[in-house]
Amino acid sequence: MDAIFKDPVLLATVVGTSLPFLSMAVILIFTRHNPMLSSRISVTSIVVAAVCALLNLAKVAGASHPFRFETAWMSSGNFHLTFGYYLDPLSALMLTIVAVIACLVQIYSLGYMSGDPGYSRYYAFQSLFAWAMMNMVIASTLLQLFIFWELVGLASYMLIGFYYEKFSASQAGKKAFVMTRVGDVGFFLGIIILTLGFGNLGIPDLNNAPGTGTITTGFITMAALLVFCGVVGKSAQFPLITWLPDAMEGPTPVSALLHSATMVAAGVYVFSRIFPFFAASPNAMLIALAIGTVTMLLASTMAMTTYDLKQVWAYSTVSQLGMMVMSLAAGGYFAGVFHLTTHAGFKALLFLCSGIFIHEYHTNDMRVIGKQGGRKQLVPMICITVGALALSGVPPFSGFFSKEAILGALNAQANPIWLFAGLFGAFLTAYYSFRLIFHLLFPKGGIEEKHAVHEMDSHGHKEEHHGGLFWAMAVPVMILACVTVVLGFAEHSLQGYIMAGGGAVKHASTAATGGAAHGVVGHELLVILGISAGLVGIILAWFEYGRKGASRNGFLSYFPPVWKLFDARWYMDAFFRWFLDTAIYSGLTSIFTRNDRRIIDGGIDGICFFTETGGRLFSFMQSGMLQYNLLIMVLVAGLAMLFFIV
Amino acid sequence: MTGFPILTAILMSTVFGLLTILLIPPERTKLVKQVSMFWATVGLILTLWLYFNFDHSKGGLQFVERVLWVKSLGIYWFHGVDGINMPMLLLTAVVLFTGVWTMWELEYRAKEFFALMFLLVAGVYGMFLSMDLFWMFVWYDVSLFPMYPLISIWGGTRKEYGAMKLTLYLLAGSALILPAIIYAWVQGGAITFDLFELQKIGFSLLDQKILFVMLYLGFGILAAVWPFHTWSPVGHVAAPTAVSMIHAGVLMKLGAYGILRIGMTLCPQGLGYWSDLMALLACIGIVYGALVGLAQTDLKYVIGYSSVSHMGMVGLGLATMTVSGINGAVFQMFAHGVMTALFFSSVGYIYDRTHTKMIPELGGMSKTMPIASAFFIIAALAGIGVPLMASFWAELLVFIAAVQVFPVGGIFAMVGLIISALFMLRVVQRTFYGERNEKFGHIPDVSPFLAVPRIILIGVILFFGFFPKVMLDVIQSAVIPFVGSF
Repeated sequence: MDAIFKDPVLLATVVGTSLPFLSMAVILIFTRHNPMLSSRISVTSIVVAAVCALLNLAKVAGASHPFRFETAWMSSGNFHLTFGYYLDPLSALMLTIVAVIACLVQIYSLGYMSGDPGYSRYYAFQSLFAWAMMNMVIASTLLQLFIFWELVGLASYMLIGFYYEKFSASQAGKKAFVMTRVGDVGFFLGIIILTLGFGNLGIPDLNNAPGTGTITTGFITMAALLVFCGVVGKSAQFPLITWLPDAMEGPTPVSALLHSATMVAAGVYVFSRIFPFFAASPNAMLIALAIGTVTMLLASTMAMTTYDLKQVWAYSTVSQLGMMVMSLAAGGYFAGVFHLTTHAGFKALLFLCSGIFIHEYHTNDMRVIGKQGGRKQLVPMICITVGALALSGVPPFSGFFSKEAILGALNAQANPIWLFAGLFGAFLTAYYSFRLIFHLLFPKGGIEEKHAVHEMDSHGHKEEHHGGLFWAMAVPVMILACVTVVLGFAEHSLQGYIMAGGGAVKHASTAATGGAAHGVVGHELLVILGISAGLVGIILAWFEYGRKGASRNGFLSYFPPVWKLFDARWYMDAFFRWFLDTAIYSGLTSIFTRNDRRIIDGGIDGICFFTETGGRLFSFMQSGMLQYNLLIMVLVAGLAMLFFIV
Repeated sequence: MTGFPILTAILMSTVFGLLTILLIPPERTKLVKQVSMFWATVGLILTLWLYFNFDHSKGGLQFVERVLWVKSLGIYWFHGVDGINMPMLLLTAVVLFTGVWTMWELEYRAKEFFALMFLLVAGVYGMFLSMDLFWMFVWYDVSLFPMYPLISIWGGTRKEYGAMKLTLYLLAGSALILPAIIYAWVQGGAITFDLFELQKIGFSLLDQKILFVMLYLGFGILAAVWPFHTWSPVGHVAAPTAVSMIHAGVLMKLGAYGILRIGMTLCPQGLGYWSDLMALLACIGIVYGALVGLAQTDLKYVIGYSSVSHMGMVGLGLATMTVSGINGAVFQMFAHGVMTALFFSSVGYIYDRTHTKMIPELGGMSKTMPIASAFFIIAALAGIGVPLMASFWAELLVFIAAVQVFPVGGIFAMVGLIISALFMLRVVQRTFYGERNEKFGHIPDVSPFLAVPRIILIGVILFFGFFPKVMLDVIQSAVIPFVGSF
């Protein structure tokens, strides 16, 4: 205990990462009926957490080696588990991202959620979410990381299904939990195999393991791929994509948090956390690269057909996550982490801006919002455009720098197909982002009377104007927009920060990229290609949706089957539904239930029936009536005589 | 024997409870409940004292009381606690205490009900405490018989059928256990029923094989080993709330405890021979229970089948014969006991108020009774192995051991984790989320007084989830030497 108060870093970590838990407990137990107080408690604790995280970020920069603190948690035989904190540049950076975004989202929610009957519950789960995610980030062992990883999943389940009266919301929450659980079982198995085969789950120890030669490459491949299953589930990679677009059933600030710094970022974070371990297996890296690429392209195509504001950003999250996985799998460690950072900023921005529109117009449909004069809302309109520019990789916004870095990493791969896939993805991203922006800016048929439509109220209150609360929503958005504008220029200092002292990381990164000496295309050409991919997408969107007299039908509408395929999410949901219905519900479940009722129970009941009937039959002989007894005696004697005679 | 015989005192707290309840006139139900509460509290306090005074660094059998009772047969009044039965005692005390509190609203023949309940728990305590085969069998049967009247008088759905089925199944198990115990006694020279003396004698390999399979099947029926599990959901459904709590929470553990304490102590090589079968049945049980649970529409059936699945985890842990596996199994027995008690306790409240436990008829209960619903949801989360709840650690340890010893079976059983998540969340969604059924709109939420027992159970789940060391240190103080003796 004393150690906690002697070391400022430890103190800040403990305080910052435990306060949200306390806040959740206090809200659930004491202040459930006082929404105002609940929100104050939660926001205060997350602000403190953000300050602590920033302090740690500064402290870690000056430290010569990563900061590690551990204490015994449990032991069973020769299996020991510690509870601890591991603060290196990566976790300090991620901790800051999580705390800051969670903080902004909670402030924003003061406005967005005001008047909601579940206000206290909302803040309790927000605190739980922040607590789980922060503890996951600074976990010192893979198992501890997994524990909080599961709790992150639990918190998202609660928040996605927040409007639990709505069937679609509770369905989406369940879907998110079960689909990520599929990946988590793989992750869990990976941890068990590492426990049995390597015996040490400490994250730095794992990362140094490949260099020591204590474990074979085959083992690393197996373990890395199993852990990657968890990444696939959490970061919504192929084939476990479809839970994420559905997850927008939750309140919009939750989507903002879920899609930027928490939940989905957890997957990519774990990948980067054990990157040196992963990179020791070229096969695992190749599989991850392929999965990332497929995910990115599939999700981009899905985003091209939907008219739902949040759904576009949801698909774009999936595709950007695919891009991060591609980057890491191609050995671009810093590029992946950097894109995670910038993406967290601009994706939170995009969702929070969309939230203002949704709050104002009570609809998710971009066409309706545009028609009702969405562009008159200056703050969100400008900010959402900033976010979309960053997402499309237009300089000088932050997304440009990180996307360029990723393309650089892909360029270093021997096979040019990954680079082309990346460029194609960038083009699609720009196209669907600006399809949305132009829908908002230049609605078809001009602007109608504002507030014409009030149905589809997605959250349970109908106040018209919120006055001062608007600023609770606008200020976080503006802060995020500023960050999005300037963050890109911090690339080099951030690179210095992340790569400092990361010997294993640097080594693994260099080994995986093959030294980055040769590239498919030259550096300058790559920059030009990257920018033009984005610009071509924007121009195409302008041509189809923006310019005067535009058709406002995407080029995809000329190919109805393709449109349908994209719109139906490549029939992935239909496949899962079909599998669940035929194989589980009407397959195994009903067979086993029948087995229980008919065969096992039937057999037992049958035995009972025979015993009972037999008893009744034989009781007939023991009725005590002389005639029957005599009859049976004669019969038996007769039979016996017959037996002896014959 | 020196000092205060605390173990006998714990056992006697239930016997005195039984006797004092019998002395109260039946119309004074309030007094019956107060007296029951008093004796349950005495038991809980004594057990807690025991738990915190148990020296896990020393290990071994502690607080031993050993008196020769019948010299010619070698029967001893022999009690002791070690890391294996310590958690079970704590579980029993907690579940009895919360069970009595949960049944506070019972008016119909309360005297008989609480008397039978104390008789049942006396049997459970006796079985957990005793280290003498004769007494173990006696207490075991004492704990079985009260189930029949408890279910057939106070029960619900198909109560006569459920009660009869349960009793017949469990007696069939007893019919295997009794000959096994006598056989062991004869093979041990017919001089002692003392478990540890019999262990020292050691049996031949053939004897061990025969003995173990008899004990395994006999006790396995009570532990709901697949395919002898069908009595358990039917029995749970039929039983009244507190009986379900004790039955699923504690009584089923008697079965697993019997396999561990008698079967594995006396016949380690027999276990070695049969462990593949045991693991196979356990793995099937884990996945099968979860899959059948998916099809259920009755809340109590759902819990019954999840118990089948979770008890499979115990069997799998035991079959691995490793420190982690048995640690996990014992921890799972404890964790599952508390969790199921919470399950039945919360369903009990909902059933008392709405008079239905059919999932399609409920729906949207979170709106009507948020706190009562939260209790069930927390139990469901514990049931799907959410971390920082006690059962997570148990499952973790069992799976580590299972993947090591039975890789195929272990990985197969892990599929059960996905299915159990699906089926628990399905139940939660259909019962507690969605549009609320206005028929139940007027029903009040659980009162603070009735919330207390459920909160205690949640507290236990979370405490051991956050601090697994407190439990595991105790358990492994017995398990490490135990595994070493194989």
